[in-house]
Amino acid sequence: MLNITKKTENGELTLSLCGRLDTITAPEFETVLKSSAEGVSGLTLDFGELEYISSAGLRVLLSAHKQTGGNMKVTHVNETVSEILEITGFADILTVE
Amino acid sequence: MNTVKGAVTEKGIAISLSGRIDSNNAAEVEAELTKLTAGHAGCPVTMDLDGLQYVSSAGLRVILRLKKTNPELSLINVCTEVYDIFDMTGFTEMMTVEKAYRTVSVEGCEEIGRGANGTIYRIDSDNVVKVYNNADALDDIRHEREVAKLALILGIPTAISYDVVRVGESYGSVFELLNARSFSKILSDEPDKFDWCVKEYVKMLKKIHSTRVPAGKLPDMKKTAIGWAEFMLDHLPQKYGEKLLSLVSAVPEDDHMIHGDYHTKNLELQGDEVLIIDMDTLAVGHPVFELASMYNAFIGFSEADHSVVKKFQGFDFETASAFWRASLSAYLGTKNEETLRSVEDKARIVGYTRLIRRAIKRNGLETEEGRAQIALWTRELTELLDRTDTLVFERNETEVDAKTENLPAVLSFIEDRLDGMGCSAKTKMQIAVAAEEIFVNIANYAYGDGGGKATVRVDEGDGKTVAVTFIDRGRMFDPTKASDPDVTLSAEERGIGGLGIFMAKKIMDGVSYEYVDGQNILTLKKKIL
Repeated sequence: MLNITKKTENGELTLSLCGRLDTITAPEFETVLKSSAEGVSGLTLDFGELEYISSAGLRVLLSAHKQTGGNMKVTHVNETVSEILEITGFADILTVE
Repeated sequence: MNTVKGAVTEKGIAISLSGRIDSNNAAEVEAELTKLTAGHAGCPVTMDLDGLQYVSSAGLRVILRLKKTNPELSLINVCTEVYDIFDMTGFTEMMTVEKAYRTVSVEGCEEIGRGANGTIYRIDSDNVVKVYNNADALDDIRHEREVAKLALILGIPTAISYDVVRVGESYGSVFELLNARSFSKILSDEPDKFDWCVKEYVKMLKKIHSTRVPAGKLPDMKKTAIGWAEFMLDHLPQKYGEKLLSLVSAVPEDDHMIHGDYHTKNLELQGDEVLIIDMDTLAVGHPVFELASMYNAFIGFSEADHSVVKKFQGFDFETASAFWRASLSAYLGTKNEETLRSVEDKARIVGYTRLIRRAIKRNGLETEEGRAQIALWTRELTELLDRTDTLVFERNETEVDAKTENLPAVLSFIEDRLDGMGCSAKTKMQIAVAAEEIFVNIANYAYGDGGGKATVRVDEGDGKTVAVTFIDRGRMFDPTKASDPDVTLSAEERGIGGLGIFMAKKIMDGVSYEYVDGQNILTLKKKIL
């Protein structure tokens, strides 16, 4: 299960993710990104309530990163998700706060 | 030369024919037969063909005409050459044709197995014979042969009888079994092979239990067990009788195979191959019924008198109890005492029911010793019924369609098992990440459009470790061989391929792959923290 909350402020989009970003939920996250990240000046992904991420989730993160031309940051990452970002090298590619 | 003799009895007309029937004497034989059967049209006829060496088409026509006046015609004691003629011409389908059986003696032969319906002896270095307890065993033999064939086709390594013989007053079926040794013998002679025996014994048990049987091919064990519980209504206090029947009735239907008499005398090591024999009790049903008969074989039968198991299996009661415990633990993939005890309780409920019924059927209530035995089992049974509310137990293995939509079910199955092992949230999450990658990989690539199944198993290992195993029958693929992606590349240069298995390898303490019997078997290992 994944819940996504959208917030736009000064052309900056924040998506807060709650739940799991896995094979089942990644497609819906991708749909939300495609429809709402168009033309925004910056994208923040708030992972404060994200419990879990698998490679299907990473795939979407990578395409979002490319779509925003690098103007994307990931915040409030928990320990488990952070470990995954570390070992896959995503911690170096993405801006993680 | 031929002789025709006959007698009319209350059961019908018994005729014996010897020599040959061909065009030279067919008319003569027919005249004799007509004389014997005159005035008895419609009366059953049994023709004993012991001593008949040849029958030509003229002779076959004589038999056909006899069948017209006396349709209930059976031919017995037919020698192999003549049987082949009946078989080729379709006579075996028109009437009962029974082969003559060669006679085998088991005097002085080693007893290598003993089951509910018979005893198995080795007659020479390559062959064994299973002698049935009841004299009129031909139907049982046919049944066992059919179910053994079915099991073999479904992938269970077993021996199929190739001949039926007479042994004294009863019948036996002959199997080829080259220099095989039963697991009971191995356990008795080489106690240091205990762990190996447990491992192989459980491996075969799981193989049997993971085999789906087409509907109607084997008896349903639950129906049989309901029969036992109904029998017990007359022998237990009302509330216990009713509870027993409701527990058995609530066991879910299951189309997986169970052996029905799975103990170490029925498991044979031939060379380096393990075979399961004594297949006449094969059925379909929930594994609790299997565990019940296992409990009885190792413990139940010997609870009052520990020497029983020694006589039957060759090893002592302590070994039997330890073997049962170790096998149950390996079968359930857990070392948790509470879990083991609870599953054992369920097995004992069915086990005691069976033992008590069996003892009563064998007039156990008429002897002092029998009554004491039945009273002991009844006391145990009622105590167990007091504290048990279901015969169903959680297994460490599940089979699902290999589809991504089943991912949540697979992950929650794994998570439930991990919870039972006292696994931390972090470790659970790591295992879930790795498991997702493996399962999704199977769902996406193992099978073509037809789809297929995936099995997931969770085993608790030694020293606080857990092993999660994925099995599929799709195309052979070793994901551990995939080369690792370059995780130092920038976003623009990054592809995403191979990342999943790379993550699994990084997060787990071990990822191993093997391809056995057409199955991809991938195992993730992790220390439980």
